[in-house]
Amino acid sequence: MKGRSKLERYGLAMICCGVALAVAWPIDAPSSCFLLAVTVSGLFGGLGPSLLAVAFSSLAFEYFFLRRTFSIATEPATYLRFAVFLAAALLITGLMETKRRVEESRSRTEEALRQSHADLERISRLTTMGELTASLAHEVNQPIAAAVTDGNTCLRWLARDQPDVEEARQAASRVVQDATRASDIINRIRSLFQKGTPQRELVDVNEVIREMVVLLRSEATRYSMSLRTQLEADIPRVMGDRVQLQQVLMNLMINSIDAMRHVDGTRELDVKSQRGENEELVVSVSDTGLGLPLQQADQIFNAFFTTKPHGTGMGLRISRSIVESHGGRLWVTDNPPRGASFHLTLPTKIEAHD
Amino acid sequence: MGIQGEAKLVAIVDDDDLIRSALQGMLKSVGLRSQAFASAEEFLASGQQQLTACLIADIRMPGMSGLELQARLNAEHCRIPTIFITAHGDTRMRMQALRAGAVDFMAKPFDDGVLIESVRAALEN
Repeated sequence: MKGRSKLERYGLAMICCGVALAVAWPIDAPSSCFLLAVTVSGLFGGLGPSLLAVAFSSLAFEYFFLRRTFSIATEPATYLRFAVFLAAALLITGLMETKRRVEESRSRTEEALRQSHADLERISRLTTMGELTASLAHEVNQPIAAAVTDGNTCLRWLARDQPDVEEARQAASRVVQDATRASDIINRIRSLFQKGTPQRELVDVNEVIREMVVLLRSEATRYSMSLRTQLEADIPRVMGDRVQLQQVLMNLMINSIDAMRHVDGTRELDVKSQRGENEELVVSVSDTGLGLPLQQADQIFNAFFTTKPHGTGMGLRISRSIVESHGGRLWVTDNPPRGASFHLTLPTKIEAHD
Repeated sequence: MGIQGEAKLVAIVDDDDLIRSALQGMLKSVGLRSQAFASAEEFLASGQQQLTACLIADIRMPGMSGLELQARLNAEHCRIPTIFITAHGDTRMRMQALRAGAVDFMAKPFDDGVLIESVRAALEN
């Protein structure tokens, strides 16, 4: 019924009745044919056309098959016949209406669910960013402190009896470099706070990894951890949502940092990217932390699984669902002698994904 | 009273590249020679310790920390006047550094003037 004009719908009803009339005549089964016409009119045309079919069928029955005139008959059979046609029409249109309502309700539910997922992802991002505030503030403060020093240096060169313009120029251009770095970091942080529907674009995963490394560098240093990357050059780009992929990488790296926080001995966080089989990209985030719970490795991806006192337990679950929505996989292995390695694959072929 | 700044080398140890270049620029503008290292390990491996008249170091670095570097130099009887500049400083750390022989301990962002005075004072001794 969607999108069909009134003319189409009523026209269809009349055609059904016409066909029923034509067919009923030779096979002498007017009741069945007209009942079918009423049903089809209701199914494809709706209430109005089905009632039209009911009216036409009743009258046609009278005129063509009982050889009466168009006078309104008073026989019970006539009324009964009319009632049956009407009941069929109402039943069919009633069922169609119910079906439409159920579909509409389901698509509203799906929309609400999608919105919930997006909200949960965003909240998870914001929570993570909140936890990193001290580190992020430090990360931004470094270039600003450098800018102040370079600015003062510039002034000192110019304050001499014989100002050294070349040195002053160099100092001033360092100030620009410092401020650009600060602004760059803030922009990266800002993009993580953005609210929006997932965008699909070509994303360079190496660049995303580097961005997250910059943001997490202070955090890693704070806990005396080394943070190294081994990124394959010219890696093919992935069709995906940049912010979501940032979230996944940030989540994995923060998990690694947390796992290593109270560990004695080496604290190494390694991020590696390389081409995999089947035109896939493989990214691995490895740490030398506490490692995985015995024999329950996959449980860590369950919702609400957390070993942190104030953890939400949603990080890995969300990460996995993001990776899967991009057509990839996320899994974890041990990193002997101690620690864990998270691996994710992402397809790089440009295909239509849902 | 004149400080022969040109003859004395100031070593800078900090993992942040912008801070390193800012400090080198600053020292140059007051006529002091300096050399920068991205890590404590790099400084120790360079063999410049004997020529260094003053050390400016960050505390928290990915590898060996500034305090560990200070301990290592003390163990090697390499008494270099050290000034710590750090973003993560707390009182306990300050006391620890000063007790281990640091000349000064300042937080980032630091006052250029104060740092320069500190360096000059360290070089005079």
